[in-house]
Amino acid sequence: MDLENINSRRDFIKKMGAASLVAASTTIPSVSFLSCNSLARYASTADTVILLWMAGGMAHTETFDPKAYAPYEKGMESKRVLSTFPKVPTVIDGLFFSEGLESIGKVMDRGAIIRSYQSADLGHILHTRHQYHWHTCYEPPQSVQAPHLGAWIAKELGPVNPVIPPFIAIGQRFTVGEAEELKAFHSAGFLGTEYGPFLIPDPSTGLDSVRPPKGMTIKRFEARYKLYRELVDKSEIMQQGSGYQRTSLMRSMEQSYRLLNSPEAKVFDLSQEPKEVYDQYNTGRFGLGCLLAKRLAMNGGRFISVSTEYEPFLGWDTHENGHARAANMKSIVDRPIAQLISDLDESGHLDRTLIILASEFSRDAILEGRPGKKVKDQVEQPDIINDEKFYGMHRHFTDGSSVLLWGGGIKKGLVYGQTADERPCSSIKNRVVIDQLHQSIYHALGLHAETNYVIEGRPFYTTPDGQGKPILELFG
Amino acid sequence: MEDSWIWLFQLMGRLHVLIVHFPIGLLVMALVLEGLTLNGRRPGLKIGSYWMVYFGTIFAIIAVILGCLLRNFDDYSGALVQQHQNMGIATAALATGTVLILRATVTGRISTYNFYRSGLILTVLSLIFASHLGASLTHGEDYLSSALPLNNEPNDSEVTRLLAELKVRDSLNLDQLDELNLEVRAIIAHNCYQCHNDNKQKGELVLDSKRGFFQGGKSGPVIFPNDPQKSELYRRISLPAHHKEVMPKKGKVLKEHEVALIKLWIEKGAHWSDRAISVFPEAPLALEKPLLPEDSNEDHPVDQLINAYFQNNNYKWPGVVDDKIFIRRAHLDIVGLLPQPDKILQFVNDGRPNKRELLIDELLNDHTNYTQHWLSFWNDLLRNDYSGTGFITGGRKQITDWLYATLESNKPYDLMVKELVNPSEESMGFIKGIQWRGVVNASQRTEMQAAQNIGQSLMGVNVKCASCHNSFVSNLTLEQAYGFASIFADSTLELYRCDKPIGKFAGASFIYPELGSVDGPSVDRRLAKLSAIIVKPENGRLYRTITNRIWKQLMGRGLVEPVDEMDHLPWDNDLLDWLSADFMDSGYDLKSLIRQIMISKAYQLPSIDYDKVEDLRSDKFQFRGPLIRRLSAEQFSDAVSQVIAPVFYAAAYDPNKKGLSSRRIWHPEVKYDRSVLPDPGVRYFRNVFTISDSKIESAELLLSVDHSYTMYLNEQEVSKGADWRKVHRLDVKDYIVSGKNLIAIEGINEGSIANPAGILFAMKIVYTNKEEVLIQSGKDWQSTKVKPDKTWIRLQFNDESWVQVRDYGSSHWDKLIGFNFNQTGSEFARASLVRQHHFLKALGRPSRETVTTNRDDQATLLQALELTNGEYLNNVLEEGAKVWHDLHKNKSEKIVETLYQKALGRSPTIEEREVILSSLGSNPTKESLQDFFWSIILLPEFQFID
Repeated sequence: MDLENINSRRDFIKKMGAASLVAASTTIPSVSFLSCNSLARYASTADTVILLWMAGGMAHTETFDPKAYAPYEKGMESKRVLSTFPKVPTVIDGLFFSEGLESIGKVMDRGAIIRSYQSADLGHILHTRHQYHWHTCYEPPQSVQAPHLGAWIAKELGPVNPVIPPFIAIGQRFTVGEAEELKAFHSAGFLGTEYGPFLIPDPSTGLDSVRPPKGMTIKRFEARYKLYRELVDKSEIMQQGSGYQRTSLMRSMEQSYRLLNSPEAKVFDLSQEPKEVYDQYNTGRFGLGCLLAKRLAMNGGRFISVSTEYEPFLGWDTHENGHARAANMKSIVDRPIAQLISDLDESGHLDRTLIILASEFSRDAILEGRPGKKVKDQVEQPDIINDEKFYGMHRHFTDGSSVLLWGGGIKKGLVYGQTADERPCSSIKNRVVIDQLHQSIYHALGLHAETNYVIEGRPFYTTPDGQGKPILELFG
Repeated sequence: MEDSWIWLFQLMGRLHVLIVHFPIGLLVMALVLEGLTLNGRRPGLKIGSYWMVYFGTIFAIIAVILGCLLRNFDDYSGALVQQHQNMGIATAALATGTVLILRATVTGRISTYNFYRSGLILTVLSLIFASHLGASLTHGEDYLSSALPLNNEPNDSEVTRLLAELKVRDSLNLDQLDELNLEVRAIIAHNCYQCHNDNKQKGELVLDSKRGFFQGGKSGPVIFPNDPQKSELYRRISLPAHHKEVMPKKGKVLKEHEVALIKLWIEKGAHWSDRAISVFPEAPLALEKPLLPEDSNEDHPVDQLINAYFQNNNYKWPGVVDDKIFIRRAHLDIVGLLPQPDKILQFVNDGRPNKRELLIDELLNDHTNYTQHWLSFWNDLLRNDYSGTGFITGGRKQITDWLYATLESNKPYDLMVKELVNPSEESMGFIKGIQWRGVVNASQRTEMQAAQNIGQSLMGVNVKCASCHNSFVSNLTLEQAYGFASIFADSTLELYRCDKPIGKFAGASFIYPELGSVDGPSVDRRLAKLSAIIVKPENGRLYRTITNRIWKQLMGRGLVEPVDEMDHLPWDNDLLDWLSADFMDSGYDLKSLIRQIMISKAYQLPSIDYDKVEDLRSDKFQFRGPLIRRLSAEQFSDAVSQVIAPVFYAAAYDPNKKGLSSRRIWHPEVKYDRSVLPDPGVRYFRNVFTISDSKIESAELLLSVDHSYTMYLNEQEVSKGADWRKVHRLDVKDYIVSGKNLIAIEGINEGSIANPAGILFAMKIVYTNKEEVLIQSGKDWQSTKVKPDKTWIRLQFNDESWVQVRDYGSSHWDKLIGFNFNQTGSEFARASLVRQHHFLKALGRPSRETVTTNRDDQATLLQALELTNGEYLNNVLEEGAKVWHDLHKNKSEKIVETLYQKALGRSPTIEEREVILSSLGSNPTKESLQDFFWSIILLPEFQFID
């Protein structure tokens, strides 16, 4: 597909239509150990979802829900610290963000903010456990493996463009601490590996995953497949007739060959972008992840997550120097996110692309866990701050945080929910839990709230017991 | 609109059902008449048929209007209703169009009747489709198909029988009333519990207890004894399938005779039986060895039973597979490896009549390879792994040492179960479960995990559902599940229903109390009791469960499916019982069970492929021979290791425990005062060691660096490398001097982002007096990231500004099997011993957070991508190509022949040889060899166990 020419909206829709036809005709018959109650779909308002994942616990009071600013003074009391940055106005009247998020503030006329997300109460904090819960909607451990949100979407809707895997996870390595716990939810669980994530830890090398092996020319790649096919055709086992096992093997090999030999692999190639665009996004791996997400969304991605990456004590997981590190994180996410929104808006894709920004929980200077349910502190915080190292949000707070949404039918300029202005800065209005977020995403995609599969004799729903409800007020 | 008028619209709407038949009759008849008048015959019929079209059309329009009224005033909804409406409107429109064409034709504006005829045909087709949808709405979508033979569910006959028997009687005795009630409750359980149970209580109605039944729901009582018409329950289940109020809401409506039986029960006074219901069929616990058929020509008991089975199913024995297929199957099934070419040849030429049996015995006696193959099966079943969730927080424990030794010594299964249930320190990982940090759902507390896992893995029963609420899939109750879990708990457990405490406590008891009591004052005592009763011969279920699993492992499909639900019926009950009893008679000898199955003719039948996965799961499955199976992730990796080049050089588990204590070191990388993974780039390392004046006899060095390095010993370059998986083994005797020596290593971490890097080093120096010195990588080494001047490889270089290295631990690298001084054993690590790896994962090795008893073995796109462009496999093939190229140079023919023998156990056919040789050419390059290898290992012939 010629990328330069796909940028007009009409063209995009035309090609997408053609692509879904191909998808319908070439997909492997899906695993049928599972049986699903067929449920009607709603009319959808989005085809593609981009999740911007602020891994490690992003403090709402330092980002999208600023409170009273307490500038650093030697000898100040910890309990005075609610926000370590002044607030700045956004394009929406009366909506203020924390300093350093001015660019995102400028695109809030195209999206909504939920200020009252409440994380689960899982006791003693473990980031990956909350992340597991956020991404699967189920608290670990579970007696069957719960699928990731992206896997549900991949299973239910399949790819938009048949050669772009329907679930792509960008930016997270699995060699860092808590790697096994991270792997546990980057999974399609019982839905089967076919719907699992296509992992791109480093967006600048994303192309490697979708082209012939390193060092192999297209010509050689084609010759190799030709040899293979000839040997298959000549082999006795294929002449004995065709059963399920043989057909599914041959079909998967052919699909894979087509995908790797397809010109659309270019979608994964960031060097195709003009230098100014590349530079605008390039604040590091996260920024380039946003650029890749943009390219994927424009060319038929289905579910794409871009993570600031979780690595214990790094990224948003600030256990010390909270102020300085939050400033750094903001400088990493602000520009590329705003650019992503405006680029997709300009190209017309934002209408059908739902973008969500979220984090597993928030942070506070003093409270660990949530009010009334104190759990074990994981970091020392002195009552009086004599060293700037202690100035910031170093403890995990689960009672209130911000979620931002753009496009895909989301009401523009909406501010939903509220947190208290004094500590504890908990959600006090329109409290939102994870089931509602998931169902809102499914709602936008037209998926029934009670979508489920029967596993080990019982129905397993997208959200526990099929009880979750979308927040309809979010939609325009 | 005033409410008082609604009845009129409702009435008119309901007339739809009457009126629709008019256009059906009229328009179809008109078409028939039109056919009769073709070619100018029977002209008298013409005019009449036109009038039929006119009237038919008018009625079609009326029917559409009434249908819309019906939909709006009688609360119909759903996709089917919408489709029916659309088709109805389309029919009316087509009919109107046909009338217009007809008028035009009759008045001469159109010169041929063909347009009219086409219009009429289209109208009638649309009409038929619309009527079909309407009928589906009224009678249910399976109305027609349910009348077809072979479409009755198993317990259906019971309902029909009971209905026929009881309907005709005026009064029923207590027994009959009981029976009637129990059957009704079974129907309710299967269809209504899901929403109307104690915790869901849709409409505040609970149907899983007597109280709930008679108390009714939000809108009052649902049962009026003796009066079905007044009973809301009856009204709701007898509504048309797509009525808005019909029950059950999810899934399909009840069958007609089920509804009739419920009606009968209410008519007869809605008696409630005190007998406990077994809503779900339960397999008997006990096991008796069935008698074998007497008049069989078969020698093997399994074959005698299969013979009877085949006779019952009118199927004749096909011939057994040839020696080549058999030896490949037997090898892969027992030791998980491909047979070597010379072994195949020898076997084929072996003239002894019992050679297949001898081969099986020989393979079963290869204890190491048997263990390393079957380990994967047991790891899946017992949820044991080398890495995974729970390890970082100490919430999990491996049982690998115990399991390996158990398999190697072929420990009797009853003893094995005892040790799992009442564990030693080494085997406790199984019942310990996985504990995440923080608060967990009550149904996932570790005691409950123990109950669930023993239930699933060992007993073939699902305790998971019952651990949250009374099960909808078995007869297990919440109380039973908690009783089971209490065995493993330090204190009495309070029952939690759907994670909410209900103020009840459970005394410890096993879910099969007939086996004996498990009461005891402490966990230890209770576990001892449980382990004693669970292995009792009376507990045939334990032995059936494992027998069925082993059968599935060897034959591709269990005697019972799913293998975790042993209450399902086997396709041959006697066969399952005979094998299980024989297994017990053998002294619970797992190898004997495997042997017994594999020496049967049944195992040696040609493999069977199937059209869809559902066919395998179906109750109607019929055994015809072993299924065609795909190589497992481990079998495939090991086969590639055997044929091409090692896929794995390092293992997470080293059964021989011979590893050296050297540490993986690298320059410390710090961000925000935290140690993090090393960035890509060059780092420099130095270590000084001292040698005494004694004479050196030998000095051997082992080195592995992730990613690449150049090593200097006393200023001289001694080694270079770029693959951490290969241990560099060097004799460095000539480089060593007495006094101080310097090791200097320039290491490079590749990649584009921070990733693991490390040096693993060991050097053994032996003096002539046999004294030994061991120099290893460790924290006493120094490093820097600042490029030093070129004198850094000299002993005198000042490295004061350098820092101490960091030990990067063992979490990123498995243990290299070649990293020891007396190299013995295999050249590659068996895939069953390596930690979970993305390559194995893509091929279907499960992450063992939960028990896995069924691996998906069909091909998927992500898997094909991994095999087609995955760097991992590509590197293996590249390495193999290099080795083969060096070994065979340009002897293409030889290469093709050898590879075919090793990989497929045969010579290539003339056609195959031609195709390959024309691709390789007479002087094959490494690349062309690599591509040839790739083509072979992806052939179905290589991928499948035929």
